[in-house]
Amino acid sequence: MSLADLFTVVAVSAGAFFFLAGSVGLLRFPDALARLHALTKADNLGLGLVVLGLLPRVDGLLGALKLVAIWALVLLASGAVSQLVARVARRTGPRA
Amino acid sequence: MGTAFARFLGFAALWVVLVRGVAPADLAVGVLAAAVATWASLRLLPAEAGRVNLGALALRLPRFLWQSVVAGVDVARRALAPGVPLRLGFVGYRTGFARGAARNAFATITSLMPGTVPVDDTEAEISYHCLDVGQPVAAQLAAEEREYADALAPGKRLG
Repeated sequence: MSLADLFTVVAVSAGAFFFLAGSVGLLRFPDALARLHALTKADNLGLGLVVLGLLPRVDGLLGALKLVAIWALVLLASGAVSQLVARVARRTGPRA
Repeated sequence: MGTAFARFLGFAALWVVLVRGVAPADLAVGVLAAAVATWASLRLLPAEAGRVNLGALALRLPRFLWQSVVAGVDVARRALAPGVPLRLGFVGYRTGFARGAARNAFATITSLMPGTVPVDDTEAEISYHCLDVGQPVAAQLAAEEREYADALAPGKRLG
Protein backbone atom coordinates (compact mmCIF):
# COMPACT_ATOMS: atom_id res chain seq x y z
CA MET A 1 0.00 0.00 0.00
CA SER A 2 1.46 3.33 -1.05
CA LEU A 3 1.55 6.41 1.11
CA ALA A 4 -1.27 7.95 -0.97
CA ASP A 5 -3.43 4.86 -0.40
CA LEU A 6 -2.76 5.04 3.32
CA PHE A 7 -3.68 8.73 3.35
CA THR A 8 -6.95 7.95 1.54
CA VAL A 9 -7.86 5.14 3.93
CA VAL A 10 -7.14 7.22 7.01
CA ALA A 11 -8.92 10.38 5.81
CA VAL A 12 -12.02 8.61 4.43
CA SER A 13 -12.29 6.50 7.59
CA ALA A 14 -12.06 9.62 9.72
CA GLY A 15 -14.77 11.16 7.53
CA ALA A 16 -17.00 8.13 8.03
CA PHE A 17 -16.41 8.40 11.79
CA PHE A 18 -17.77 11.96 11.83
CA PHE A 19 -20.81 10.94 9.77
CA LEU A 20 -21.41 8.23 12.37
CA ALA A 21 -20.98 10.72 15.21
CA GLY A 22 -23.42 13.11 13.53
CA SER A 23 -25.97 10.34 13.18
CA VAL A 24 -25.54 9.34 16.83
CA GLY A 25 -26.09 12.98 17.76
CA LEU A 26 -29.22 13.03 15.61
CA LEU A 27 -30.57 10.14 17.64
CA ARG A 28 -29.31 11.15 21.08
CA PHE A 29 -29.76 14.93 21.19
CA PRO A 30 -33.00 16.00 22.84
CA ASP A 31 -34.64 18.36 20.34
CA ALA A 32 -34.69 19.56 16.76
CA LEU A 33 -32.38 22.51 17.34
CA ALA A 34 -29.70 20.44 19.05
CA ARG A 35 -29.94 17.83 16.32
CA LEU A 36 -29.21 20.49 13.72
CA HIS A 37 -25.82 21.09 15.35
CA ALA A 38 -25.01 17.40 15.09
CA LEU A 39 -25.98 17.07 11.46
CA THR A 40 -24.49 20.25 10.03
CA LYS A 41 -21.19 20.32 11.88
CA ALA A 42 -20.27 16.67 12.05
CA ASP A 43 -21.35 15.95 8.48
CA ASN A 44 -19.53 18.95 7.05
CA LEU A 45 -16.32 17.81 8.65
CA GLY A 46 -17.02 14.22 7.60
CA LEU A 47 -17.57 15.18 3.99
CA GLY A 48 -14.51 17.44 4.06
CA LEU A 49 -12.34 14.54 5.22
CA VAL A 50 -13.81 12.18 2.60
CA VAL A 51 -13.07 14.78 -0.12
CA LEU A 52 -9.56 15.32 1.28
CA GLY A 53 -8.95 11.58 1.21
CA LEU A 54 -10.15 11.22 -2.38
CA LEU A 55 -8.12 14.15 -3.73
CA PRO A 56 -4.92 12.13 -4.35
CA ARG A 57 -6.96 9.61 -6.38
CA VAL A 58 -8.49 11.93 -8.97
CA ASP A 59 -6.82 12.54 -12.31
CA GLY A 60 -6.39 16.14 -13.27
CA LEU A 61 -7.07 19.51 -11.77
CA LEU A 62 -10.72 19.63 -12.89
CA GLY A 63 -11.51 16.43 -11.03
CA ALA A 64 -9.98 17.80 -7.85
CA LEU A 65 -11.79 21.11 -8.26
CA LYS A 66 -15.05 19.25 -8.76
CA LEU A 67 -14.66 17.38 -5.47
CA VAL A 68 -13.86 20.61 -3.64
CA ALA A 69 -16.79 22.36 -5.36
CA ILE A 70 -19.14 19.62 -4.20
CA TRP A 71 -17.94 20.07 -0.63
CA ALA A 72 -18.30 23.85 -0.88
CA LEU A 73 -21.85 23.53 -2.27
CA VAL A 74 -22.84 21.17 0.55
CA LEU A 75 -21.32 23.57 3.11
CA LEU A 76 -23.22 26.48 1.65
CA ALA A 77 -26.47 24.52 1.49
CA SER A 78 -26.25 23.12 5.01
CA GLY A 79 -25.16 26.47 6.44
CA ALA A 80 -28.14 28.17 4.83
CA VAL A 81 -30.76 25.45 5.29
CA SER A 82 -29.87 24.79 8.94
CA GLN A 83 -30.79 28.40 9.74
CA LEU A 84 -34.14 28.05 7.97
CA VAL A 85 -34.95 24.79 9.73
CA ALA A 86 -33.86 26.39 13.04
CA ARG A 87 -36.23 29.32 12.53
CA VAL A 88 -39.16 27.02 11.89
CA ALA A 89 -38.22 24.75 14.80
CA ARG A 90 -38.02 27.70 17.17
CA ARG A 91 -41.31 29.22 16.10
CA THR A 92 -43.31 26.01 16.21
CA GLY A 93 -42.11 25.16 19.72
CA PRO A 94 -39.83 22.58 21.26
CA ARG A 95 -41.19 19.44 19.73
CA ALA A 96 -38.62 16.71 19.21
CA MET B 1 -23.57 45.27 -15.42
CA GLY B 2 -20.25 44.54 -13.70
CA THR B 3 -21.95 42.48 -11.02
CA ALA B 4 -24.02 40.50 -13.50
CA PHE B 5 -21.01 39.72 -15.69
CA ALA B 6 -18.84 38.72 -12.73
CA ARG B 7 -21.57 36.40 -11.46
CA PHE B 8 -22.08 34.95 -14.94
CA LEU B 9 -18.36 34.17 -15.18
CA GLY B 10 -18.47 32.57 -11.73
CA PHE B 11 -21.43 30.35 -12.60
CA ALA B 12 -19.88 29.43 -15.96
CA ALA B 13 -16.61 28.47 -14.23
CA LEU B 14 -18.56 26.35 -11.74
CA TRP B 15 -20.30 24.64 -14.66
CA VAL B 16 -16.99 23.80 -16.34
CA VAL B 17 -15.71 22.33 -13.07
CA LEU B 18 -18.88 20.28 -12.45
CA VAL B 19 -19.16 18.79 -15.96
CA ARG B 20 -15.36 18.46 -16.12
CA GLY B 21 -14.84 19.73 -19.60
CA VAL B 22 -15.27 22.34 -22.27
CA ALA B 23 -16.83 20.25 -25.09
CA PRO B 24 -18.96 22.51 -27.34
CA ALA B 25 -22.25 20.79 -26.47
CA ASP B 26 -21.51 21.03 -22.74
CA LEU B 27 -20.54 24.68 -23.09
CA ALA B 28 -23.76 25.54 -24.95
CA VAL B 29 -25.86 24.17 -22.11
CA GLY B 30 -23.46 25.72 -19.60
CA VAL B 31 -23.83 29.22 -21.03
CA LEU B 32 -27.59 28.85 -20.82
CA ALA B 33 -27.44 27.48 -17.27
CA ALA B 34 -25.06 30.24 -16.16
CA ALA B 35 -27.34 32.88 -17.69
CA VAL B 36 -30.39 31.52 -15.85
CA ALA B 37 -28.39 31.24 -12.62
CA THR B 38 -27.20 34.83 -13.00
CA TRP B 39 -30.76 36.03 -13.58
CA ALA B 40 -32.00 34.15 -10.51
CA SER B 41 -29.12 35.39 -8.34
CA LEU B 42 -29.75 39.01 -9.33
CA ARG B 43 -33.43 38.60 -8.49
CA LEU B 44 -32.76 36.90 -5.15
CA LEU B 45 -29.64 38.79 -4.12
CA PRO B 46 -29.44 42.20 -5.82
CA ALA B 47 -26.03 43.86 -5.94
CA GLU B 48 -27.28 46.57 -3.54
CA ALA B 49 -27.88 43.97 -0.80
CA GLY B 50 -24.23 44.21 0.13
CA ARG B 51 -20.94 42.90 -1.07
CA VAL B 52 -19.06 39.84 -0.05
CA ASN B 53 -15.41 40.23 -0.89
CA LEU B 54 -14.49 36.74 -2.06
CA GLY B 55 -10.76 37.49 -2.10
CA ALA B 56 -10.77 38.71 1.49
CA LEU B 57 -13.00 35.78 2.43
CA ALA B 58 -10.53 33.34 0.86
CA LEU B 59 -7.81 34.68 3.18
CA ARG B 60 -9.96 33.51 6.11
CA LEU B 61 -10.16 29.99 4.67
CA PRO B 62 -7.56 28.41 7.00
CA ARG B 63 -9.32 29.90 10.02
CA PHE B 64 -12.70 28.75 8.72
CA LEU B 65 -11.43 25.21 8.05
CA TRP B 66 -9.92 25.01 11.51
CA GLN B 67 -13.21 26.17 13.06
CA SER B 68 -15.00 23.47 11.08
CA VAL B 69 -12.68 20.84 12.53
CA VAL B 70 -13.18 22.18 16.07
CA ALA B 71 -16.96 22.28 15.53
CA GLY B 72 -17.10 18.73 14.18
CA VAL B 73 -14.91 17.34 16.98
CA ASP B 74 -16.93 19.24 19.59
CA VAL B 75 -20.27 17.94 18.39
CA ALA B 76 -18.92 14.39 17.93
CA ARG B 77 -17.62 14.44 21.51
CA ARG B 78 -20.97 15.59 22.84
CA ALA B 79 -22.79 12.95 20.81
CA LEU B 80 -20.54 10.02 21.63
CA ALA B 81 -19.20 10.66 25.14
CA PRO B 82 -21.97 10.17 27.67
CA GLY B 83 -20.22 12.31 30.29
CA VAL B 84 -20.14 15.51 28.24
CA PRO B 85 -23.24 17.51 29.11
CA LEU B 86 -25.33 19.68 26.83
CA ARG B 87 -26.35 23.05 28.20
CA LEU B 88 -28.77 24.13 25.52
CA GLY B 89 -30.01 27.67 25.33
CA PHE B 90 -30.33 30.85 23.33
CA VAL B 91 -27.85 33.71 23.23
CA GLY B 92 -28.66 37.07 21.67
CA TYR B 93 -25.71 38.65 19.91
CA ARG B 94 -25.66 42.34 18.94
CA THR B 95 -24.02 42.57 15.57
CA GLY B 96 -22.71 45.49 13.56
CA PHE B 97 -23.70 43.85 10.28
CA ALA B 98 -26.89 45.38 8.93
CA ARG B 99 -29.46 43.00 7.50
CA GLY B 100 -28.56 41.94 3.99
CA ALA B 101 -25.88 39.93 2.26
CA ALA B 102 -23.16 40.74 4.80
CA ARG B 103 -25.24 39.60 7.77
CA ASN B 104 -26.45 36.52 5.94
CA ALA B 105 -22.89 35.56 5.07
CA PHE B 106 -21.82 36.13 8.68
CA ALA B 107 -24.75 34.06 9.96
CA THR B 108 -23.91 31.23 7.58
CA ILE B 109 -20.23 31.26 8.56
CA THR B 110 -21.11 31.23 12.25
CA SER B 111 -23.66 28.44 11.71
CA LEU B 112 -20.65 26.24 10.95
CA MET B 113 -18.74 27.34 14.04
CA PRO B 114 -18.56 25.23 17.19
CA GLY B 115 -21.80 25.16 19.17
CA THR B 116 -23.81 27.91 17.47
CA VAL B 117 -26.68 27.93 14.98
CA PRO B 118 -28.44 31.23 14.16
CA VAL B 119 -32.17 30.86 14.73
CA ASP B 120 -33.59 34.33 14.36
CA ASP B 121 -32.64 37.95 13.88
CA THR B 122 -33.94 41.41 14.60
CA GLU B 123 -32.69 44.79 13.46
CA ALA B 124 -29.73 44.77 15.86
CA GLU B 125 -29.39 41.20 17.06
CA ILE B 126 -28.85 37.69 15.81
CA SER B 127 -30.26 35.03 18.10
CA TYR B 128 -28.16 31.87 18.36
CA HIS B 129 -29.06 28.45 19.61
CA CYS B 130 -26.09 27.10 21.59
CA LEU B 131 -25.08 23.60 22.60
CA ASP B 132 -23.32 24.95 25.68
CA VAL B 133 -24.36 28.32 27.03
CA GLY B 134 -21.50 28.03 29.55
CA GLN B 135 -19.08 28.86 26.72
CA PRO B 136 -18.20 32.53 26.11
CA VAL B 137 -20.41 32.53 23.02
CA ALA B 138 -20.82 36.29 22.61
CA ALA B 139 -17.08 36.90 22.93
CA GLN B 140 -16.35 34.24 20.31
CA LEU B 141 -18.91 35.72 17.94
CA ALA B 142 -17.44 39.20 18.46
CA ALA B 143 -14.01 37.82 17.58
CA GLU B 144 -15.45 36.31 14.40
CA GLU B 145 -17.15 39.57 13.51
CA ARG B 146 -13.85 41.48 13.83
CA GLU B 147 -12.16 38.81 11.75
CA TYR B 148 -14.64 39.05 8.89
CA ALA B 149 -15.44 42.78 9.10
CA ASP B 150 -13.49 43.82 6.01
CA ALA B 151 -14.59 40.82 3.93
CA LEU B 152 -18.32 41.51 4.34
CA ALA B 153 -19.43 44.99 3.36
CA PRO B 154 -22.99 45.81 4.38
CA GLY B 155 -25.22 47.18 1.67
CA LYS B 156 -28.34 49.29 1.53
CA ARG B 157 -31.19 47.92 3.57
CA LEU B 158 -33.71 46.08 1.46
CA GLY B 159 -37.32 45.88 2.61
